Amino acid sequence: MAETKQVIVKVKRQAGPKEAARWEEFSLKWRPSMNVIICLRDIAENPVTHDGKKTTPITYDSNCLEEICGSCAMLINGKARMACSALVDQLEQPIRIEPMSKFPLVRDLAVDRQFMFESLKRVKAWIPIDGTYNLGEGPRVSPEVQEKGYPLSNCITCGNCLEVCPQVNEHNQFVGAAIISQVRLFNMHPTGAMNKSERIAAIIGPGGIQECANAQNCVHACPKGIPLTESIAEVNRDAWKQALLSWLVG
Amino acid sequence: MSSTATRPDTSYLLRKLHSFTGILPVGAFLAEHFWSNSAALVSSEKYNTVSQELQTIPFRLIVEWGTIFLPMLFHGGYGIYIWLRGKSNVSAYPWVGNWLYTTQRYTGLIAFAYIGWHLYTERWLTHGRSTYANVAADIRNPWYLTFFVIGVLASSFHLGAGIWNFLCKWGLAATVKAQQAAGRLGALVGVAFSLVGILIIISFRYDWHPFSVYLPNK
Repeated sequence: MAETKQVIVKVKRQAGPKEAARWEEFSLKWRPSMNVIICLRDIAENPVTHDGKKTTPITYDSNCLEEICGSCAMLINGKARMACSALVDQLEQPIRIEPMSKFPLVRDLAVDRQFMFESLKRVKAWIPIDGTYNLGEGPRVSPEVQEKGYPLSNCITCGNCLEVCPQVNEHNQFVGAAIISQVRLFNMHPTGAMNKSERIAAIIGPGGIQECANAQNCVHACPKGIPLTESIAEVNRDAWKQALLSWLVG
Repeated sequence: MSSTATRPDTSYLLRKLHSFTGILPVGAFLAEHFWSNSAALVSSEKYNTVSQELQTIPFRLIVEWGTIFLPMLFHGGYGIYIWLRGKSNVSAYPWVGNWLYTTQRYTGLIAFAYIGWHLYTERWLTHGRSTYANVAADIRNPWYLTFFVIGVLASSFHLGAGIWNFLCKWGLAATVKAQQAAGRLGALVGVAFSLVGILIIISFRYDWHPFSVYLPNK
């Protein structure tokens, strides 16, 4: 039998937010269509390093394995991307796997993306449809708005756009492209538009849209191909109009 | 929601002001400055006439401080503050926009330093009465010449990329297609300003006045 192909994987590990980080190297048996999540599963099955030392399974988030849940974003060979769609055959080896750097670390590759969910709450990224009585049918959504809104609704809150953004860092509280794009999505919906000025007010608050410096990394890193730079520009236009009006007429 | 909650954050207003001053008046002044200095391409006399015209405008100090010095100080000073709050990552993500992001910061700083020196040598030291002979003498110094070239290129690049940023950041170019067009416009402005700026430098350095053919025959 021919010699079995090996896959060399290096994982940055950290037992907790305050523990020291270390690298562990693993050599795994190659399989067809192998992705990074399979590598991590194989390590969990047999947690022994390349040098034969016994270790613990690696902590990481993942769920759907088809770029829908948004939980397995990590740095693979230094780039932010989804581990489930990172195919081993397309990666340079040794494959370096690290946690995302812009979110608080939980353990190993697991990070806490609560900041994004808090930001979504801040901008009211929803459409209020419930009342104490029956509110009746909402207005119809034109096919044009549906067509524009659908790609924006594909956001999986994975955080890749924040990870690659030079403006998202410890010096400021920039909410990032995903949240701005959700402001656009909910503002373009006829029912959502009823809260448009509240969303715009939130997005021109501290850490808001003004922190964007147009590096446009977000749109390249988005695994869902969301037109993030277009969303930022659209929300920017609404934002300065509202800011100017509130400044002029109070 | 209460009315106070709809008031934009101070950082929002300052960012918008920073973006706006880059075009008006700073960018507009750069255009005016290159245009006036192009007079050197006609003749030294024309240059001196144009400079004297500008040096003798009414309310000169107020106009200079209000529309040139203070806006530039704000744009440069706040620009440095913005730079300090960003964290460039172009080595990990070498996309064009990311390169422009990083280059915009370095060219801004170079242009700011150059403009400070340029004001000192050509405005302060000559008491605001700089002539063709002053500039021509300065530019004969190879160090001055080098700094002139670097300053012109950095300022031109910064304005070109700045126009692109401005059009995107105010939502004037929103779609991918419109932003590409805005990028081409910015590139055109950057290249045009670089070329004109270099021609003016050559004119002073080599006493070269290609447009002297426009002058009536003596």
